[in-house]
Amino acid sequence: MGQDVFEITVNCIKLVLIFLMMVQAVPILVWVERRGSAFIQNRFGPNRVGPLGLLQLLADAVKFLTKEDFAPDKAIRPLFYAAPIFALIPATLAFAAIPMSVPLEIGGYVFKIQGYDMNVGIVYILGVSSLAAYTILMAGWGSASKFSLLGALRASAQVISYELALGLSIVGIILLFGTFNLTEMINAQQGTLSFKAFGHTVTSAYIPNWGIFYQPLAAIIFFAATFAESNRLPFDLAEGEAEIVAGFHTEYGGFKMLMFFIGEYGHMMLGSALMIIFFFGGYGIPWVTVDDVRQWAAGLSESATTISVITTLVHFLSFMIKFVFFLWVFIWVRWTLPRFRYDQLMDLGWKTMLPWALGNTILTALVIYLIS
Amino acid sequence: MTPDVFLFWFLALLIIGSGLAVLLFTNPIYSALSLAMTMVGVAAIFITLHAYFIAGVQLIVYAGAVMVLFVMVLMLFDIKAEIQAFSSGKISGAIKLISVGLLSGLIVGGIIMGQKSFVGELSKDAVQVAEAQKVKKSTSPDAATKELGMVLFSKHIFGFEALGVLLTVIAVGAVALARSRGGTHHAK
Repeated sequence: MGQDVFEITVNCIKLVLIFLMMVQAVPILVWVERRGSAFIQNRFGPNRVGPLGLLQLLADAVKFLTKEDFAPDKAIRPLFYAAPIFALIPATLAFAAIPMSVPLEIGGYVFKIQGYDMNVGIVYILGVSSLAAYTILMAGWGSASKFSLLGALRASAQVISYELALGLSIVGIILLFGTFNLTEMINAQQGTLSFKAFGHTVTSAYIPNWGIFYQPLAAIIFFAATFAESNRLPFDLAEGEAEIVAGFHTEYGGFKMLMFFIGEYGHMMLGSALMIIFFFGGYGIPWVTVDDVRQWAAGLSESATTISVITTLVHFLSFMIKFVFFLWVFIWVRWTLPRFRYDQLMDLGWKTMLPWALGNTILTALVIYLIS
Repeated sequence: MTPDVFLFWFLALLIIGSGLAVLLFTNPIYSALSLAMTMVGVAAIFITLHAYFIAGVQLIVYAGAVMVLFVMVLMLFDIKAEIQAFSSGKISGAIKLISVGLLSGLIVGGIIMGQKSFVGELSKDAVQVAEAQKVKKSTSPDAATKELGMVLFSKHIFGFEALGVLLTVIAVGAVALARSRGGTHHAK
């Protein structure tokens, strides 16, 4: 955790801050989702409470908190009440391993803008987020309702199927950068495009050195699979309203339902963050390296602390811009595409995305072997 | 009590508790969920030992994939009939006892053989090399994984294989439950 009390305290506060950041982003995302969907569907959306309807979030939160705490008569209480709480855990734990900016150096201390730096960040994130299937199963079983159970079975089948394509699509990226560490992966994507092939160095002045230019197919498969993992349209079979009411959270209301919501948005945020780190240079600024930014900051100030703070803030801003863009893509897609049929969903997962991801892995391994 | 010791005892009790719960619950769903809890606890123990890669793989493979499938399949059954099939019948009870005895014998044998280091000369060297490397305390994930593989497939090969058998038993049991009387496929 740290060497002395100050460092330990800051690191503990950092963990809490990252959790709060994730939870506090949810109401804003809900607002963006509702206003965005209204914009896409040529409606108004919530615009009565506060400026632009922004206080609607606050009103909603109060409403959720004051609703009756309801459980179905035949529900299995421990599972029914545990499921929404467990829904928060996987996304939160995984989000703690996302590096959001370059480390901050203040007077001999180095603080990472990241909950916890793990050498095998990808494995950890995949492992923790794969536990999300349990919350759905617990909710579906604990509700003692047929709609919930059917929704839970569908959702968990979908999550398991797409986890394979998701995991395989990352293998190409891991082979390319030769590391499980997210920070090293971002460091490998700085500056303009340049790579070594057959002893020559190929460079381009116009394309940033991002993963998507090496692994375009993996990027598409990964992004599609993250939609399925977070149970969002066009993959939200788990809550097909026309068939099974609201799926696994049919029997949930009030704050318990809100917690499932936070879990879903947490997975969305995790998906966007991973998409950025694997394929869009993480917190890096396109065409520019971290050292360039540090030199530019050195021109503005003399003190090392100020330079470090400026560098960290600039990269944090870069991360946030990309992050928000991909969150918007998540919402955009949701309100643009219709839902898949169940057999189409399974065909896409097992017969299309899995073989293509496998082919991509083999091709990447072959090319890397031949070139080096 | 240092944090490490506290974490170890907390996790050890959690694992033993949930492991017992797997056996003592009569409802297969609760058993499966407890087994998932055990897997997560073991992963946490790996993290306290700084074996992050093994912890992650443990979560992905066992907790995230295998157990989710079991829980999902179990939910498709008529569990009320299952509870009865689980806890009645002299012959099936005897078979259960015998299989428990066989399995525990297998595991105990595996541990004893592992301690005797009942391995060939070649792999004995591998064990020594691996343990020498372990002292160096390397931090790179590749090296740690390699060392673990060395120890696992030479010194603890019997325990490892016994665990493999245990997992096969679980898989066969889950399928047997699906096909037995009282499952979704009623004998007509």
